[in-house]
Amino acid sequence: MKRLAVMAMALVMLVLVIHGPSAGGPREPIVLRIDEVAVAEIDPAKSTDFVDSILFYNLYDTLVAAAPGGKLVPSLAESWTVSPDGLAYAFKIRRGMKFHDGTELTAADVEFSLQRMMALKQGFSYLYDGWVSAVKASGPSTVAITLTRPYGPFLATLVRLGVVNRALVLKNKKDGKFGEFGDYGDAFLSTTDAGSGPYRIKAHNPQQLSVIEKFPGYWQVFAVNAPDEVRVLLSVEAATIRTLMVRREHDVTSQWLPTEIYRALGDTPGIALATERGQSNLFLKINTKRAPTDDLNVRRAMVLGFDYAAVLRLIQINDRVAAGKTARGPIPEGFPGFDPTLPVPKRDVAAAKAALAQAKSKNVELEFGWVAEVPLEEKIALLFQQNMADIGVNVKVVKVPWALMTEKATKPDTTPNIVPIFFAGTYPDPDSFLYSTYHGSAAGSWTSMEWLQSKDVDGLLDRARTTANPDQRLSLYKQAQKMIVDQVPDIYPYEQFAVFAYQEYVTPAFVDPAKAIPVQGAHWNFRLWQVDMAKKKAMGGK
Amino acid sequence: MSVVAAAPARENLRRTWYAFSRNGGSLFGLGIVVVVVLLTAFAPWVTPFPRHARAFTDFEHASLPPGGSHLFGTDTIGRDILTRVVFGYRFSLLLGLVVLSAAVPTGVVLGLLAGYYRGWPETVIMRVTDIFLSIPPLALALAIMAVLEPNLQNAMLAVSVMWWPWYTRLVYGLVSSLRNEGYVQAAQIVGASPAHILLREILPNCLPAILTKMTLDMAFVILIGSSLSFLGLGVQPPDPDLGTMVADGAKYMPDLWWVPVFPGLAILVIVLGFNLLGDGLRDIFGVEV
Repeated sequence: MKRLAVMAMALVMLVLVIHGPSAGGPREPIVLRIDEVAVAEIDPAKSTDFVDSILFYNLYDTLVAAAPGGKLVPSLAESWTVSPDGLAYAFKIRRGMKFHDGTELTAADVEFSLQRMMALKQGFSYLYDGWVSAVKASGPSTVAITLTRPYGPFLATLVRLGVVNRALVLKNKKDGKFGEFGDYGDAFLSTTDAGSGPYRIKAHNPQQLSVIEKFPGYWQVFAVNAPDEVRVLLSVEAATIRTLMVRREHDVTSQWLPTEIYRALGDTPGIALATERGQSNLFLKINTKRAPTDDLNVRRAMVLGFDYAAVLRLIQINDRVAAGKTARGPIPEGFPGFDPTLPVPKRDVAAAKAALAQAKSKNVELEFGWVAEVPLEEKIALLFQQNMADIGVNVKVVKVPWALMTEKATKPDTTPNIVPIFFAGTYPDPDSFLYSTYHGSAAGSWTSMEWLQSKDVDGLLDRARTTANPDQRLSLYKQAQKMIVDQVPDIYPYEQFAVFAYQEYVTPAFVDPAKAIPVQGAHWNFRLWQVDMAKKKAMGGK
Repeated sequence: MSVVAAAPARENLRRTWYAFSRNGGSLFGLGIVVVVVLLTAFAPWVTPFPRHARAFTDFEHASLPPGGSHLFGTDTIGRDILTRVVFGYRFSLLLGLVVLSAAVPTGVVLGLLAGYYRGWPETVIMRVTDIFLSIPPLALALAIMAVLEPNLQNAMLAVSVMWWPWYTRLVYGLVSSLRNEGYVQAAQIVGASPAHILLREILPNCLPAILTKMTLDMAFVILIGSSLSFLGLGVQPPDPDLGTMVADGAKYMPDLWWVPVFPGLAILVIVLGFNLLGDGLRDIFGVEV
């Protein structure tokens, strides 16, 4: 009995030791360190890429949020109604939510944010341009948005509409071209935030470091050991990050390191690898308007001649983790609109040669331009070159810096015959993948280097956009994907899983596949992450 | 007559070689340079995998550590690093030779003219030279490469453009003092043409200094060329280049250390070789460069 009492005492003391600091006095702040690639744009009306998205989801709230499986759930809007013709949306805004400066978020802020985004014409504003005809707040908790035509993906696109603090932005406006709104807070919001999200900006240098801290007045709960501060290091050398990880001076890596480094980190005790799935695909974009790839038979030969199994070996990190899996068509599995009936591409050298024999030109020579910033693309380019040599196609491999590539993408005769592009969905709707890639109106951008410009595909994509019924839309998108795949505008080497290495004392929100959200950056909601400080100390974390 | 003249020349050479060979460092430098030149000349026959010097992938044998059939290991797409280092030397030496053969004649001719004809030719040539010398060499080359398409030819052009002023200044200084020598004045008095005086009387006396500087400069040109390709502005893949190999391999440190370390050592060795050789020449010629 006495022994039991001693054990109970010991247990109590152990608990006290573990939770001691939080019981009395101020506890040590929980800091999480991650890294990403510069430039970090924090203005919600301008943010687009991965690091932007991470910061966006932590600094700002949206009307609706993406949930596991791509479903949409209420967020700032606690409910909404849609008119039968699909043109009028009415959102009921939740009450009692506070901006970071303590003022209350109201319908007027939502109205202002959408107007601001459309006026600035940057970032994702093209999702609303020409589709939204009016936005009007009535009272503190109702916003009405009117569309020009029915717009199927509309609700999904709202996951990229961050709500800014109207009064704070207007107080900090500078002179600009928007009349009474000055510069619409353009300069102000690139340096700090005016949001209501779970974190707020503590320090921000878009080229080097962004530090965000917990906002205690947030309207939703934080995980027990959620970080108090998150430091986002920008564009640090891969070898440096690797060293910092091993010395436990860094917590979570970016997804842009070379495979070899993930392999080494995966073998390091105390460091685990996680993948984010269902968001992104690798496209080998084939320029369908430039010889010799304007010839359907040449494109067919390339799709048949490419060694998909070798690519999968290339992205295998160790026997447990791979950076992707076989792809079917343009949309990855787990993303709305994925079509499991599309064929899996396979290498067939004889069939490739047969297709090539039917090509107009006998001496086929083409240019493969890979993006200089992504070392993996060089390997894929060289593999492609070798595969094509086997079927008698001569491939010239060119390294193109990203800035130059976006310029080359503006004209069909400067766009290389093949360009590898990793594309991640940004709003949970098939439209996110298909419209910006294949619709004729999107031509001239890096997303549409296929130059497909097919009236039939355009027609289907437009019809799918303007259809309100979700089931009908889905079947239109499946039809469109079949039609697209038949024209062979791309090779789909694999579905990309973004790989991250993290210290085992950190629990990222996306480790559980059941909770995977197929939208870029949405998992990086640090409110739901956990850092076990006791374990960190025990592991020698600094 | 010619036999009589040849004997002292041969004797001269023998004495020079004796002085040179007394210095172990210079001999070592000469050895490195000779070995590297021979290796590059016979690269397709002496390297184990000549095919790996061009576009080639073998993912089965990628990232192998040094040892076995790959003395320096393989890179991340399965190419033999030893082979690529030897072929990389080809581009380095080619860059050095082309740059110097463009920069030296230009610089020497301008230096001769500026040093011999005082007055406005001197002012114009030397002030332009000063302007070029005031810009840091790598910054100038980077600026040129930013305008041109990055490839080996343009890298050669960019480095040449920044290299000639050094020779102009060197030769100008030498000519300024030599023009007052008795034999030059004697030639002027007997009515020799300026061309004769510059090329036959003055230039031969500048040659030791020029040769010494060229040898030392081979090292610097190779280093600058490697820096340019390290920054992605020189030789383009799949052609092997030492600077590019270091840049690409650096991100795999320290796990695949052999990918950047051997090309880096290769740069070190060749630069060291030319430097030691140049130092030896400077000592025996007794010149300041």
